[in-house]
Amino acid sequence: MKRILIVDDEPHVIRVVRLALERNGYLVDAAANGKQALEYLEEQHPDLIITDIDMPQMNGKDLCMEINSSLPDRTFHIFVLTARAELEHRKWASAIPNLDFMEKPVSIRRLVSRLDTYFADVQLSDKQECQTAS
Amino acid sequence: MQPNQKLSVWKKERLGLIMIMASLAVITVTAGLLFSNQRQAEEAHIRKQGINLVKLMSRMSFDQVVPGAGQQGVLSVLQLNHENTSFSYLVVVDKNGRQLAELSSPGVIAPATPLPSSPTTWLGEKTLNLAGDGREVTEFHAPLFRNGLLAGHVRLGYFKPGFGLDLEQMPFLATLALPIFLLTPLFYFLVRREVRPLKKVNSQLDELVERGNLNRMEITATGELHEFMTRFNGFVETAQNKIHKLESERTSLETSTKLLTYKRSRIDSVLQSLPDAVMVLDESGAVSLANSRFSTLLGVSPADVVEKKPVEWCDNQDVVAFLASCTGKAARGFNVESFEYTPSGTPEKTISISPYPLFSPKDPAQLLGTLVLFRDVTAVNLAKQSSGAFVAHVAHELKSPLNVIAMYSETLQSDDGANDDFRIEASNVIHDETERLSQLIGNILSITKIEMGSISIERKRVKLRDLLQDTYDTCARNARGRDLKILADLPREISPVAVDKDMLRIAINNLLTNAIKYTDPGGEVTLAAEETENNVRISVKDNGIGIAPDEQEKVFNKFYRSENEETQSRTGHGLGLSLAREIIQLHHGTLTLSSAIGEGSEFIIELRKEADLLKQAV
Repeated sequence: MKRILIVDDEPHVIRVVRLALERNGYLVDAAANGKQALEYLEEQHPDLIITDIDMPQMNGKDLCMEINSSLPDRTFHIFVLTARAELEHRKWASAIPNLDFMEKPVSIRRLVSRLDTYFADVQLSDKQECQTAS
Repeated sequence: MQPNQKLSVWKKERLGLIMIMASLAVITVTAGLLFSNQRQAEEAHIRKQGINLVKLMSRMSFDQVVPGAGQQGVLSVLQLNHENTSFSYLVVVDKNGRQLAELSSPGVIAPATPLPSSPTTWLGEKTLNLAGDGREVTEFHAPLFRNGLLAGHVRLGYFKPGFGLDLEQMPFLATLALPIFLLTPLFYFLVRREVRPLKKVNSQLDELVERGNLNRMEITATGELHEFMTRFNGFVETAQNKIHKLESERTSLETSTKLLTYKRSRIDSVLQSLPDAVMVLDESGAVSLANSRFSTLLGVSPADVVEKKPVEWCDNQDVVAFLASCTGKAARGFNVESFEYTPSGTPEKTISISPYPLFSPKDPAQLLGTLVLFRDVTAVNLAKQSSGAFVAHVAHELKSPLNVIAMYSETLQSDDGANDDFRIEASNVIHDETERLSQLIGNILSITKIEMGSISIERKRVKLRDLLQDTYDTCARNARGRDLKILADLPREISPVAVDKDMLRIAINNLLTNAIKYTDPGGEVTLAAEETENNVRISVKDNGIGIAPDEQEKVFNKFYRSENEETQSRTGHGLGLSLAREIIQLHHGTLTLSSAIGEGSEFIIELRKEADLLKQAV
């Protein structure tokens, strides 16, 4: 089972996303802001992080930068949810590997299918890597 | 009397004096001539008489002249003639000079004189002086013969006629002098009469010179003076016309000068009070005109700029290059595009430079120079930026609740939608989020309307307690799950106030939402109300992060969001407080703030009671 961390200050968003992802066979953990997410990462190792940008205490941008610098060898992917898919975000994000944007409002169905596709791809490439290695 | 005035009196009367002197001179000369003539005639008469008499006596016999004792001689006859005043003496002497007979005027002694020695000088005339008074005497002498032989001489003396006046001559002199004396004043008055117009002319000329009164001379005169007056008056008229013409020309010149000065100062004052710095560059690229805004905008006095090229007063090379590109020949082809730059030393300032070619109004093909406007666009740029940021904030604020609504409704359609508990939850969430959206949109619309001045508040008598309670309930419900104590301290009765219910609700709601947003979990937000004598006081108090003193006024500015990190981390559109204050001001109330960092903030609304408003209106 894949473990996913959702970081959002909007409890309603967490509630709905958790509901949908759990129904589709994911393990879901949640944090209300960047700070909480970093605390979580000290103990847990999710397979993927979904984060909002505008959050109190520590926003999505700072969270991503912090993860990038403190966990340079991370393997998990980050999806950034933003209502403002603007160039200013693309700029800082381009320096961080394994990061994608998802624009708000997010359709639950699309989110699930995107996660499914992502993990399928990962599995496939892992297999290919194993085959080439052997 | 001043000496020169005395002199002028003499001068004025000199004509009369001259005439008196002249008449006296004429009388003197005439009398002199007459007397001299009379003397000559008398002398001639005496000579004739004397010569005749001595010749006559010379021809007489000696005895006849010198009679013997007891006989009467010629001398006795001649004695009868003594009444002749000119007669002085008659003496007969012998040839040795001894006096033989004498006849003389009283008091006269015949003077001694040498006798003529030769016969040629026996008959003659000589002038002698009498002994005593020294009077001059003309003496005629002739020889006396006895028996053909010289026996003696006859000497006859006559007084020379004198120059002195005697009484006899006085009537004659008076007859001569009187007409002259009588004629003199007559001539004098005649001359005066002739001269009088000239005097008038003189005094009028004096007046002309001293006072500058150029008038026709109304002087009656005859003859040449009349002609002179006519010509002079003609000259005066011509001069008057010329002077009038000159004066009217001068007046119109003065008027047009004043008009020009006025127009010029009007244009100048317009130019000086323009909000932008204005400069005109001539063909050579030098500044020919600059207004006073230069000192405030660019820190250069206009006097330091005029007649100089930009390179001499501007240290920004880009500006110099830009100004060079729109002057001289380059000006014909340049595009009227603005250029923005930040002057060195004032990093927060942005100045826009806009050039416009100046064509001659008479000949559009002739380029006179370039008009350059310097405008401080700092505020405009800031407004553009903040309004852009505002739109971005608003978009974000709109998208967040929309996102939640979209997610819930989508989930409702999925298998989870069948769950009754979820359906109730979803409908509540969707309702709340819709409420949040409509509140935000309401805020945006209200503030836009207020800013545009197109809002009119509808004041109605409102039960303030109900309105406050209602607003409190909504906010408290929305803040559920935030771990905050939301409290209400409202008296049971509050005096009625006349307010726009919807607007006041927005204001109080914004204050509460703001307080909730900036208060950390565990904190407290209180909505309270109390009455003073004239006012109703509503306060929203929190123990949140607080606002720094230098920001306490700025928080009411539209778009303003604190630089504080704590604030930055919280969502907000910088609109709520601005709108709240505008609404309270529309109600003629006040919204004030007291706050300290880390201790919390208190926003206080003061509204006038209805009774107080009525009192004021009456």
